[in-house]
Amino acid sequence: MEQPKVGVFLSDCGKQLSDILDFDALTNFVKNVPNVALIARGSEFWRGNGLKAIVDAIKGGKINRVVVAESLPKLSEVNIAQAVSDAGLNSYLVEVIDLKDHCAWPHRSAPAEATEKAKAMLLSAIERAKLLEPIEKLEFPTLKSALIIGGGIAGMQTAVDLADLGFEVNLIEKAPFLGGLAARAGRFFPTDDCAICIQSPSSDVKTITHTSRKCVYRSGFSEIPNLSILTNAEVVSVEGVPGNYKVTIEKKPRYVDADKCVVCGKCAEVCPVETPDEYNANLNNRKAIYLNVPTVHPQIYAIDEDACKFQECAKCVAVCPTNAIDLGQQTEQVTLNVGSIVVATGFKEFDSSNIKEYHYDEYPDVITNLELARMIDGFGPTGGKIIRPSDGKPAKKIVFVQCAGSRDRRYNPYCSSICCMISLKNASLVKEANPDAEISICYIDIRTTGREHEYYYERARDMGIKFVKGRPTEIYNDEEKGKLIVDVEDALLKRFLDLEADLVVLAAAMVPAEGTAELAEILGLDLEADGFFKEYNAKLRPTETKKRGIYLCGGATFPKDAPTASLHAHSAAMKAAKFLTSGKIVKDQRTAIINEDYCGDCEFCPVMCPYGAITLEPTTEDHFVAKVNEILCEGCGVCVGTCPLNAIELRHSRPNQMSAQMNALLSVNGTSKPLVLAFCCQECGHTAVDSSGMAKMEYPANVRIIKVPCAGIVRVNQILEAYKAGAQAVMIVGCKTDGCHYEVGSAKAEKKMDMAKILLKEYGIEPERLEMFKMVFIEGAQFAEAAKMMTERAAKLGTLKLMGDS
Amino acid sequence: MPHHNTKENANMSFSEEVTHRHGGETLTACYQCGTCASSCPVARLDARFNPREIIKLSLLGEKQEILTGDAIWLCTSCFNCQERCPQDVEIADVIYALRNIALEAGNSPNIYADFASALIADGRIVAISKFVEKKREEYGLPPLKAVHVEALNTILSATGFTKPEKKEASQ
Repeated sequence: MEQPKVGVFLSDCGKQLSDILDFDALTNFVKNVPNVALIARGSEFWRGNGLKAIVDAIKGGKINRVVVAESLPKLSEVNIAQAVSDAGLNSYLVEVIDLKDHCAWPHRSAPAEATEKAKAMLLSAIERAKLLEPIEKLEFPTLKSALIIGGGIAGMQTAVDLADLGFEVNLIEKAPFLGGLAARAGRFFPTDDCAICIQSPSSDVKTITHTSRKCVYRSGFSEIPNLSILTNAEVVSVEGVPGNYKVTIEKKPRYVDADKCVVCGKCAEVCPVETPDEYNANLNNRKAIYLNVPTVHPQIYAIDEDACKFQECAKCVAVCPTNAIDLGQQTEQVTLNVGSIVVATGFKEFDSSNIKEYHYDEYPDVITNLELARMIDGFGPTGGKIIRPSDGKPAKKIVFVQCAGSRDRRYNPYCSSICCMISLKNASLVKEANPDAEISICYIDIRTTGREHEYYYERARDMGIKFVKGRPTEIYNDEEKGKLIVDVEDALLKRFLDLEADLVVLAAAMVPAEGTAELAEILGLDLEADGFFKEYNAKLRPTETKKRGIYLCGGATFPKDAPTASLHAHSAAMKAAKFLTSGKIVKDQRTAIINEDYCGDCEFCPVMCPYGAITLEPTTEDHFVAKVNEILCEGCGVCVGTCPLNAIELRHSRPNQMSAQMNALLSVNGTSKPLVLAFCCQECGHTAVDSSGMAKMEYPANVRIIKVPCAGIVRVNQILEAYKAGAQAVMIVGCKTDGCHYEVGSAKAEKKMDMAKILLKEYGIEPERLEMFKMVFIEGAQFAEAAKMMTERAAKLGTLKLMGDS
Repeated sequence: MPHHNTKENANMSFSEEVTHRHGGETLTACYQCGTCASSCPVARLDARFNPREIIKLSLLGEKQEILTGDAIWLCTSCFNCQERCPQDVEIADVIYALRNIALEAGNSPNIYADFASALIADGRIVAISKFVEKKREEYGLPPLKAVHVEALNTILSATGFTKPEKKEASQ
């Protein structure tokens, strides 16, 4: 390899640095460092003539490594890297440091000391630059297809979006019919329109305007050319990598041929089986061959295999005019190769029978909002009549009980967020159709936070619906009166009310859909404590997951109303499209490398890797080594910090590069205080240092900063190395545990430092000389405080004596 | 009717005083749903007692009203409220904590002074009657053992147990 020729570009940021730092001294110092081929001074190097000077030096062959001291390096290095790359040099042969926020400003009261620290920083950057290697760009092809898991309102809309954009879309639904929970809800707030209405796909030739909405069954949804729908289907396993997932799906038989069924219904007429209709909350019976409701999608009958008598009966087969029924259909395994996966599995109602005092499974007239919605639906089991399930008589007195299982630490501590609106909507619909109904809603807090939502609350009051502020303790059955009694205190009146009811409607909590945990296991995704899927970042990346190419939408992440589910669905579609559209993943090879000579048979790194990027592969019969999957590796280095055998290195943060930096940073002190080395993660830790400088907070110049990708990469031997090189105390500065940019890095680092302290004791080093700090960007003051604290601590402890020192 | 207080004149540190007590830790989780009140058999019969209100008054720092009133002494410790509280507020235990604070402030019903005297003298709050002894014999239960009063008193004084002062009958 060519000898390193380092160009050092010193920006004084418009004299603001040269007023504090002695730039002549810096230039003289740098001049004498071996391999420095060029020194330039200017007011800025990240744009204009300054940047041109760098480019010219590269093009002229004067330099092959670039060190730039520039303010705001996190902004300027993007520009510099691009220009360097355009000039023909690998952009990873550049090191940019911040003499302003990391040196001149925080140490401005002691300019001489700051100048000495600046020398150390420059030396460190030069020594690192000499050891840098070019990093190549990797490309991995991706398939232009997607799998959407879940055919509810969110999944369907994501499917339409992606299909409209030209991707091959596979939508799978566990049930025989699409629509999910939304379809059962009957009508939606805040539009009061029906639940099966979706945006028309662009392939619908009869769509006249772009505002067209249509019922799913007439939307042409199933006729979208590049959309295939699999019902009765579930994901069994997923293999492969982002962009190339191989998904195995188990498709249960429908026993009715989709291409032949003409939905005449003769089969259901002759079917002798009556079985409770779970779609309608078991309020009626249906046949073993059935449609959920006439407007359902797909418009194909299905056989309930738990209820059907098959060959014993086969009356439907005889009567079917198109021979569409095939009782011999078998479960099939379907394999799909897709580039991306969108999880749209939704949520369901909490099983209210858990709340013993509400007697949901005991009293038939205690129902849930979803069950009431089935009664309200004209296609539902009662034809729109509100009845008492116990005797079928009309329900006149209706009491709603909010937060049934929500905001309850015994079941689900969270607010399910949509139940207030669902109850207001359902109560209003009932009152509208039955003006003499007496309706009360028992609530803890009414939450109507969306646009138009407060109107529902107003309207309900206008209609004469009563509100009782209190959560009932128990629902009793008064057999003499033939009524239910809801035992509640109205806290505003401080009065005990025994509310009589024909029907009690529980606003049941919303919990993750059946099979959520199993699917998370199959996909390798995390769940939150509430059991819903965990987003990659709730604030900024609400539809992404820690796995590239796998997205979440709708109620899979938390209960959502229809507008929010739509928003989420379109967002997930956009993210999936962005991932799929180029047909390839392009990334820098800033990945981990395994030294197979050292690696062997332990399982630390595959377990620790937050991205599942490391697997163990056999080399001989009884020997395994770790392999890094470069698509999955995100370059955090948690594996490096974990490996007990030093068998892993991370490109661009190799141990020799870090050692050179450390030794240089600690080679010059220039202050009267003990040297402190701070390993700062490139995310929150290093930016907290930036922000302390930007806010001109002061801390002493003996504190030296080394940037690492993640706190999790730091090894215990590197901490010992730092002490050996002259550090009297070591700080590890990482992200907050929950905010770690690499999921687990900060937490792993913290654990490791606790262990390291025990080890330090063994070596005769005071454990107080090591401390882990966790902070975010805006906590610059915390960094300055921590730096001062560690300096004082090291000073108090006196000079560190290492074993072997005389 | 208790008067309504604004935040300004409420002594907020009282809720901290309660949460730092054994039994009082869960006070601040309350969101006033009233499940406790509707669960309470006493509240139905006696308007002076309402567990939701006691918690609210504690949260707002209405120390005097709680400590000098009758309410906290009316709880029968049936624990219905505690069983059903959706926020896991240990309501009956909070009331115990409040009673302890009241007792230390010299505000306890005279019966507690009688209990304390009996405990110190005989090692029992309620003396064992002939009736009880006879019943035990009937059921084949062993006779109750005598309490080691001296040892008990050593424990009582070591734990700082104080006998509440009896108040003059004023009504």
